[in-house]
Amino acid sequence: MTDDRFEERLREMGRDYHRPPETPREEMWAAIVAGRRRRAEPRVSVLRPAWRWGLGMAAVLLLGIAIGRWLRPHQTVPTGGLATTATDVPYQVAATQYLNSTETLLAGFRADARSGHVDTLFVAQAHELLSSTRLLLQSPAGRDPRLKPLLEDLELVLAQIALLPGGRDTEDVNLITQGMDQQSVLTRLRTAIPAGPASAPRTQGAL
Amino acid sequence: MDEHELIARVRAGEPAAERALYDAHVDRVYRLAYRLAGDDELARDFTQETFIRAFDRLDTFRGDARFSTWLHAIATSVALNGLRRTKRFRSQTTLEAADGVATSARSAEPDLKVRLHAAIDALPTRYRTVVVMHDVEGYTHEEIAASLGVEVGTSKAQLSRARAKLRESLADFAGEWAS
Repeated sequence: MTDDRFEERLREMGRDYHRPPETPREEMWAAIVAGRRRRAEPRVSVLRPAWRWGLGMAAVLLLGIAIGRWLRPHQTVPTGGLATTATDVPYQVAATQYLNSTETLLAGFRADARSGHVDTLFVAQAHELLSSTRLLLQSPAGRDPRLKPLLEDLELVLAQIALLPGGRDTEDVNLITQGMDQQSVLTRLRTAIPAGPASAPRTQGAL
Repeated sequence: MDEHELIARVRAGEPAAERALYDAHVDRVYRLAYRLAGDDELARDFTQETFIRAFDRLDTFRGDARFSTWLHAIATSVALNGLRRTKRFRSQTTLEAADGVATSARSAEPDLKVRLHAAIDALPTRYRTVVVMHDVEGYTHEEIAASLGVEVGTSKAQLSRARAKLRESLADFAGEWAS
């Protein structure tokens, strides 16, 4: 076999490698015009409710971490179980808020997945919650032996949703919901959320 | 109208000029995006993002290189970053399934073209990109180097290594190569 022959065959057969269909130029042009218009809007209107919601949650988590670090020298660090000391109250509040928000998102995502059309808003929300998951995993909440595996599973599911191509790939959506079912993610998530009206009483006085 | 004039009109905010510039380049950008992604949805996303960025940053195009070179640098950057994110997601969810398919295809599918395409898919991204651009889409090494921000020699070296890896992967088809 000579190099020339190999390269010739490579080029011949390579023509069919991921052979592109006809360029969908009108559809793409419409998307480009819409995308540029959207990005040109003033920043204040770009900050949609989903982003504000995510940024708020991240702020709560960061505040919790700051308070936790400030209190840490004066408190005993718990070795296991749910956080109960004053040091961990901010994390507990943040974790409860996070779990509530994630449960809402995943329940909505599943419902949309069944109908075959996933709202792209879920993708943006998943992206935001993903940052909060990482912050929680690095906080004392992430050392809770009951919470940590759940947070890790949620991080994977949220990453999958956040990376959905346009939120419209049915095969990918099915893979995500199958994964959620196999890991009983929603059931474990609901079990982990403390009973009561969305943790409001716990929040008061904690921060 | 030459391209410099067209770009000047785009900079002046003429929508018709924007469309003309898009029409002049979209086929090649979409083809490359599709070849790299192997998926229409992704290829559309990459192409759209490429043109959105190009129009937004057109003021930074100084005209030292050809516009197509500048545009393809954006396109390859968008596509490779997008594929990296997609690969990370897919590798977590479908790695085992994909391995199973690849193995069964290897033993049950003797077709050389199928094997070659699988071998290209299996190349490291930097090698696959060069093979796709040079051997599949016919870009020159100068164009590849400018698009990827590497030296021409690097592009040539990567193509050579990529071909060596493909030849190695297809060693049991050596007879067909020679025939």
